[in-house]
Amino acid sequence: MSVPVIYSPQYQLYNFGPQHPFSPVRLEMLLDLLEHLGHPLHFVEPAQATREEVRSVHLESFVRRVEAASRGERSPDFEHYGIGTADTPIFPGMDEAARWLVGGTLTAARMVSSGQAKEVLQLGGGLHHAQKDLASGFCVYNDLSVAIRHLTQQGLRVAYIDIDVHHGDGVQWIHYDEPGVLTFSIHESGRYLYPGTGHTHEIGKAEGTGRKLNIPLEPFTEDESYLEVLQMGLEPALRWFRPDVLVVQCGADAHFQDPLAEILLTTQAYAKIFPLLRQYAAAFAGGRAVYTLGGGYSLDATSRIWALLYLTLQDLPLPDHLPEPWLRRWGTQLGHFLTHTLFDPQGAYPEIPRKTEIERRNRQIAERMLESVRPYWI
Amino acid sequence: MLVKDVMHSPVLTVDVSVTLEAAYHIMLQRNIRHIPVMREGRLVGMITDRDIRLATSPFAAGGAQPIDTPVGQVMAHPVVTGDPLDPVEEAARVMRQRKIGALPILEGDRLVGIVTGIDLLEALLRLTGVEKPSGRLEVCLDDRPGELARLSGELAQQNINIHSLLTYPCGEGSVTTVVRVGTLDTRKIARELRQQGYDVRWPPEMPSKTL
Repeated sequence: MSVPVIYSPQYQLYNFGPQHPFSPVRLEMLLDLLEHLGHPLHFVEPAQATREEVRSVHLESFVRRVEAASRGERSPDFEHYGIGTADTPIFPGMDEAARWLVGGTLTAARMVSSGQAKEVLQLGGGLHHAQKDLASGFCVYNDLSVAIRHLTQQGLRVAYIDIDVHHGDGVQWIHYDEPGVLTFSIHESGRYLYPGTGHTHEIGKAEGTGRKLNIPLEPFTEDESYLEVLQMGLEPALRWFRPDVLVVQCGADAHFQDPLAEILLTTQAYAKIFPLLRQYAAAFAGGRAVYTLGGGYSLDATSRIWALLYLTLQDLPLPDHLPEPWLRRWGTQLGHFLTHTLFDPQGAYPEIPRKTEIERRNRQIAERMLESVRPYWI
Repeated sequence: MLVKDVMHSPVLTVDVSVTLEAAYHIMLQRNIRHIPVMREGRLVGMITDRDIRLATSPFAAGGAQPIDTPVGQVMAHPVVTGDPLDPVEEAARVMRQRKIGALPILEGDRLVGIVTGIDLLEALLRLTGVEKPSGRLEVCLDDRPGELARLSGELAQQNINIHSLLTYPCGEGSVTTVVRVGTLDTRKIARELRQQGYDVRWPPEMPSKTL
């Protein structure tokens, strides 16, 4: 049985302009690649999220400002809410556009909570930086948290897994005191990378204590170390928490080609991560999982990584070479050479002299995280 | 940041006549290590858990004292104190020089607060911490007038908010400047700063990342 895929052309409306890295071209390239690979695409049309649904996690004062900005109004206090900043500039219709992405993730969550599907892929969303009263880091509304809220309201225990290279701070803070939501984010350390949080000592508060987990990685972390500490940290957490469903943010910006961060994954790593997460869903969450997209700013890497995600979820074979017409079309359009193979060539980036030290540090960080949360796992 | 911003207030105190045993129990109960000692409402000494343990142990010069000894006989005095309007770095310097763990804070004669080493660590975390989602930019600036203004001018031009700023000397004639900026895309700024000749230390240049 194939995994339902949620997508609407309306997702392309979420567009901060041609110079902005969070570009809808990423989706265009991905869909075009999947089609060129010979896989006819069938989408489930999402329902646009309503204002009330957005309000399930965002404050009235914030939503009102997004709506005003969306209508073209201006106010000096927008900046206080993260709107009209360099990262999250105002564009006409931004409220509606953001609600389409929220609607997609929420539709995916509803399909799982109603038993209509076990796994669902939402080809969009993953706006993990948005906080209850703050737009941040390209994210206006937090689709993930709206979906998580829906799931917990249905009485489900949710494990949120975030493999984006940036800390999933918005989701973490929104559910920081909730016992029914485990959040797990593995990212480049906030010591070096936006948003600056996601340290091992952030473990939740009140009833949520011990249920918010962070693995901040050293810059220049490579495949083996990443996979090692991902398993080290995540598996015992899921084994203990026993979620009913996973919500997975599949940001593709931990790839070595990504222009915004310093983690050095190859697509080979993603070809292991996605099946691993599926195994975890099967072993610890009754096979239920919602997968969303997220960050990812190298168009070359991002389209290959998300194609991998799609192919993995549909149990389709992984091609070696990418279709020539696709390479030609997008190579010409972007004006630069694209990697010709799904998997990255050997030696694609210079050797990292600090490799062993980085591996040791990452292991230590994962241990420190487990040490600080384990006392609360009773 | 001033002492009054980090000190604890009101302060728990004991009278000179209180016994070592009673004072030690208060420390255990409240999970503290230092208590100012008062006589007739005036600060006359400081007593620490370590003072009490030493005074009642066989290692004490002249032998162990009974646990009902009044703290007035064991306390440290005269007391090194601070003022609420002292900068925290001044308090830190005094505590380091005198090797003391806590500084009672006086306003005139009146005891108004206490600052401990832990409070200073807390201040350090506040000064270096991340209050808002932000990226990190580290630039090595020449140590001369206007350099920081030039840098912040560049950021202002790009509509980038500065959340916090930390500078410290790095070698002869230059200053490391760590700026927490309200943007995810610090590489874009780094690129532009490098083009203008700035020595950007973070984020690093990555030649492979051209795609």
